[in-house]
Parts: sequence; C-alpha cells; structure tokens
Amino acid sequence: MAILAKENTAGASSPPRRLGLAGRGEARAGFLFALPWMVGLTVFTIIPLLLTFYIAQTKFQIVGPPKYVGLANYAAMWIDPAMWTSARNTMFFAVVSVPIKLVIALGLALLLNRVTALSGFYRTVFYLPFLMPAVAGSIVFMLLLTPDAGPVNIALKALGFSPPDWLLDPKAALWTIILLSLWPLGVETLVFLGGLQNIPQDVSEAADLDSPRGWHKLVWITIPLISPMILFNLVIGIIYSFQVFTQALVVGGTTGKPAEATLMYMVVLYRAAFRYFNVGYAAAMATVLFVGVLLLTLLIFRTARSWVHYEGDSR
Amino acid sequence: MSIMTYATPKALSRRSFLQSSAAAGAALAMPGAAWSQAEGQLLLWLPGGSDLFCKIHTGLLDSFSAKAGLGAASTVCGLGQDTEFTQALIGSITAGNPPDISMLWDSPVSLGAQGAFMPLDEMMKGSQIPIETWPAGLLSSCQFKGATYGLPVTAGVYSMWYNEELFEAKGIPSDRASFPKTWADLRKLSKEFTEWDGDTLKVAGFMPNRVSETMAIWSALNGGMLFDEANLKYVLDSEQNIEMMNFFVDWFEEEYKGDVNLIDRSGNFRDGYADGNTGMGPAFREGRQAGMQSGSWLMGDIYADPVPVFTRWNLAPNPYGPSGTASVSGTWPNWFVIPVGSKNAQAAFDYLSFLAVEGSVEWYQQIPDVPTNSQVKLKAPTGLVENRGQEFADDLSTFLGTQAAIVTPMWNSPVQSFGNDQVARAIEKIYTKAQPVKEALAEAQAASQAELERVLAG
Repeated sequence: MAILAKENTAGASSPPRRLGLAGRGEARAGFLFALPWMVGLTVFTIIPLLLTFYIAQTKFQIVGPPKYVGLANYAAMWIDPAMWTSARNTMFFAVVSVPIKLVIALGLALLLNRVTALSGFYRTVFYLPFLMPAVAGSIVFMLLLTPDAGPVNIALKALGFSPPDWLLDPKAALWTIILLSLWPLGVETLVFLGGLQNIPQDVSEAADLDSPRGWHKLVWITIPLISPMILFNLVIGIIYSFQVFTQALVVGGTTGKPAEATLMYMVVLYRAAFRYFNVGYAAAMATVLFVGVLLLTLLIFRTARSWVHYEGDSR
Repeated sequence: MSIMTYATPKALSRRSFLQSSAAAGAALAMPGAAWSQAEGQLLLWLPGGSDLFCKIHTGLLDSFSAKAGLGAASTVCGLGQDTEFTQALIGSITAGNPPDISMLWDSPVSLGAQGAFMPLDEMMKGSQIPIETWPAGLLSSCQFKGATYGLPVTAGVYSMWYNEELFEAKGIPSDRASFPKTWADLRKLSKEFTEWDGDTLKVAGFMPNRVSETMAIWSALNGGMLFDEANLKYVLDSEQNIEMMNFFVDWFEEEYKGDVNLIDRSGNFRDGYADGNTGMGPAFREGRQAGMQSGSWLMGDIYADPVPVFTRWNLAPNPYGPSGTASVSGTWPNWFVIPVGSKNAQAAFDYLSFLAVEGSVEWYQQIPDVPTNSQVKLKAPTGLVENRGQEFADDLSTFLGTQAAIVTPMWNSPVQSFGNDQVARAIEKIYTKAQPVKEALAEAQAASQAELERVLAG
C-alpha cells in the first residue's frame, strides 16, 4: 500500500514523459489519420456555421457579393406570415411525433428483446425502412393514401370507416406527415434494444421475484435503467423533428399544400435560399433554428439530471 | 497462419492507405472535370425531359459543332427540374465553371437581373436573330430594365383543348369557330357536360382555373395583369383580378359544389397528364372532361400512355372575361441563357441563332414546342401527322403560330417564383374557402410587392 502511494506520488510530481522516436511517429500517424476528418469538420461544418452567422446579416442573392444589412433579415422574419405558419406547423410536428415515436420504438424494442428465434431477422426487418430514401418512402405513402383509389382508403371503406382525404384535406395533411415520419423507427428501436440488453440479468431476475406484475418492472426497473437511451433518442428526435424537410417537400411542395398545412420551417428556409435566392434571409432562419434547438437541447440536458440514471451514479 | 498473413509487408500500411485515399479522391474528382467547360468546346446543360428530348438536343448541338468546326460538344441532360437545376447552375456560375449555354424552365429575369446571365442585346444586333424577330410579349419574359438575358427559343403555347367527340355526342358544334368566345359562354357550355353521381364528379365540362402559372393569361383575358412591368409593380389585387376570381368562385360553387376535395377525389381534372402523386389518370384522356386549357406540348404525348378513349380533339383560342375585349394567349417557354463566365460565349450565341431558326424546326417536328422566332418555317409534328393526318397537323401548326403572336407578357417579374408562390397560396386559400377573394389577393399583393422592393433596393 505504501509502495503504491509512493509510486502515485512520484508519478504525480514527475515531469511529463517525453515521447521517444517511435512515439512521435505514432503521434504523427495518428494526427495524419485524424487530419481528413478535421479538415472535413473545419471546411464543411465550422466555416459554413460561422459564415451562416455572417450571411444572416447581409443581403445575399448568391450571385454577386453580400451586402451588410444588420438585423434586417431578422426583422423580415418577424413579419413574415409564412415563417410563423411554418414554425407553428414544425412545433406541432415535433411535440406530437417525438413522443409517439419514442413510445412505439420502445414497444418494438421490448418485443424484440423477448424474441429468441430469428432475432437477427426481425432486427433487420425493423431497420430496413430507415435505409429507404425518404423521397421514395414519401411517394409510396402518397400512392397508398390516394383518396379514392389508394389501398389504405379502400381497406378502411371495406371495414365500414369513412376515411379522410389524407393529403388533400388541410386538417388531415399534417397528421399524415406525422404518420409518415413514424415509419422508419429502426435506429431508435436498436438504441433501446441495446439498452435493454445491457440490463444486468440479476437485477431483472430480482425484479421478477419482487413483483410478478410486468408493468411494475417496466416502470421501476427497465425505464430507469434505459433512461440514458431515452435521453439520447429524445434529443436526436427533437433535433431531427425541427429539421423535417424531405417528406414535407415531397408531399406539400414549396408552398406546403394543401393550404400551407404541411409548410415546415426547413421548407421555408430552403425555398428562400434556392427558389427566391434570398440567402441572407435563409441564413437568418438557420441561425434562429440553431439557437432555438440549442437552447431546447440544453434545457433537456438540464432536466435530465433528475430523470436519467447512469450505471454507478451515486444519486 | 492467419496472423502471419496479417503481418505480411503486403498488408495495408499507413502510407499505402494514404496513397490509396489520394488516388480514390482523384478518381472521384474526375467526373467533375469531365463536366467542366473547355475553350472551343461547347457545353450545354438541359434541366430534364425525356430520352427523346435529350437525344434531339445532343444531335442538334453535335451537328452545329461539326458545321462550325468546333471541338466535340457535350450535352448534359436531366440535371433535375425546378429548384435542383437552378441550384446546380448557380453553383457552377459562382464557382466560375458554368456551361456555355443552358436551357431554363423558369424565367431568366430573376437571375439575369442579379448578373448571373450575359445580356444578349449587343450580340443580337446584326445577327441572324435581331430583337425584332421575336414576339414582344414573349421576349419580355427575358428582359429586365432594357437588357435581354435569354431567348425563348421555343414555347408551349396555351390554348383551349376540347374533345370533339364529346361535343358531337351532345349535338354541340365542334368546329373551332363555334367554340365559346367569352367566359360566360364557356361556363354555359360547361354545364352541358358536367355530371355528378352523389359526391363523385363523373364528367366535367370546363373548370375555372386553379393553376398559378397560367393565372397571368386569365388575368389578361379579363383586361388585367399580375405584374406591371413598366412601373415595376405587382397588381394582384386589381379590380380585374378580383372580378376574375369572383367569377371563378361563383362558377365553382354553381357547377362543382364548391368543394375542391370532391373534384380531386373524383379524378385528375387539372391537366392532360397522369398525376404522379396520386396515380390518377387524366380525366381529359379518359373522356371524362370536355375540355381544358393546356400547353401545346401535350400534342406530342396525347396518343401515348394513357391512350385517350377518343381520337378527335381540337384547339381553340382562350375565351375572354367580362372586362376583357379580345382573346390572348400565353406560353411556357424553353428559355436559353449564356451564363456569365462562359468560355465560348460567341459560339454559344451562334448556336442559339442556329437553334432558334433551323434547329427548332426539327425540335418541333419531334416534340411540339412551338418555335417562336418569326423567321421559322414550321413543319408539322411527325406524330401528329401520323395520328391525325397532314391537313389537321398543318392547321394546328398555323393556329399555334397565330396564338404565339398574341401572347400576353408573363414570366417577367424579377421575383417571379416568389410572386407565383403567392398566387398559388391565394388560389388555394380562395378555393378552400380559407380566405375571401379580396383578402387573399391583397395578402399576396402585399407580400409580392414587399419582396420586389427588397430585391430592387440593390
């Protein structure tokens, strides 16, 4: 023990060990391997991010140099009805779709966790929709949901229901986009499944002995133990839901048909930049979105201290 | 043994990994180099279109290049429609490596006004295609503050299409001269055909317009306009436009139960093509719609899939509204531009001259986009001659030529896409009864005018 203490003390006070020739070579190689990624991060993420903050304060029509206009683009956002409509639609989409997505993904993961035979097959099947391009998936959904000739409405009518005009009725269209977004759940499900499979066997068995009721175990053992995965899926889900774009563009075009019901924030941003060539305005929208999502994420992390439990956590 | 294999000097070392990465990067960069422009070799970009469309343009450019003694020309087809194509084109211009010449399916005014395209006025002077050889209404779609930023080499000409067989079955004269001259007459005629089965529209006559791109034609037919080019001002909520939309809404209420969803659920009554989003076939070709306004490009496709249930159809001039005095036409042109930074600008313009006068004849014969330069001697489209005979095809070509001469100025705003989206929004709000006519048009007017002023502010 004394020897160990001595060694520790000696280690703490000794000067940093200089790298030998071989060590320096390793470090150089490591740096070289990391270099492409660092260059990519700098060129394609950090510089564009900083440029976005700058362009947001300019009138920039892509062709020609940007002209400084101060906060004019933010002021224009404030009075733009399309921006407010899209912000409202996007908030609604996020608030509704993220919790539903989490619940369904957790349900699927719980089912998959019980499957012993063909588990690899089922995991692949649930992951497959994620691999389909969003444009193709959206078009398939649009064909399925065609008012009179679509298979979904034909089936619903055969069962005696009065189906909605999924993508034609402004009251139903946003819900249809939410429905569409629930389809590729593979990533969330696999993350939950990873968490479920990391729950120690002895804890699980002890919970079974303490209470025969399955939901007790789910609420008091399973959910707390996979809360880091819930946090991860929640944060990623919120970030993605505020950036919903492809499905909205395919379904509603740049005007958010029908009657702006599917007009999302990113669609307004995209059309400002690439349809109206008002890049300064689009950059201002991007900046506001960035700040908004950042604040929301920080808020979630702040509240996470009270409901996320990490293994070995003393609380 | 396997460890030995891994440890062999032939395994991937860091150095060879980096070398391979560099080689792969160079290989990836090659296609970009293949698309880049070289001096003395014309590069043409096309937004989209069929394989035939690409083949025609590739052939025309190749034959021009051979005749002009230029190097091998390149045509890049199908770069994406609408916004995707514009993105690619702007990207190439700002990167300093644009094509020499590009086709556009959106007005060149917006980007031309911002300096993306070369003004052609100087090159047009003394050329084969001087300014006076173009219809003024059409050329205005390329002009801003006196500069011409592109040429509408061919155009789809909008007129009224009607099913002659459906007319005759009802005992209604089907000759062009008897076609209604006013909106009131068209509305009266439409009722003769429209049939409902409960909430399902079985057959429609003619429909009030719901298409934003053609609203400028309907406005002109009622003596109005959407954009006042001379005064650089939007006039979406003018008296004529309010009257127009009220007329349409009234017609819609009376004949179509005032519910767009009932119509859209019953079929595709919007145009002569199958709806890619819903899979619904075109009601016109299905013999369920007496007529509609459409562009001349449909002539090239109408006998293709889905094959119409009838053979005989015809075209007639657009009828005019209560405040209008005469028929006018409109177009959706195929614009050509020479981007700023083109390394072969003069050769590109020479190709434009060739295309406008000689090349467009072959183009029209295979795909009926109407040549617009006054010097062109039209030859009827081959497909139309095969299906309807030489006489009919010649008659239609002459008719389209007269229609191309009376086009109303459209596509001429420096904020064309923004204005069009505002009109689309207003139309949707009006037909879904989310907003009354006056209010919806006033909102579209305010937004469009504000955007115009922002862009013009410099």
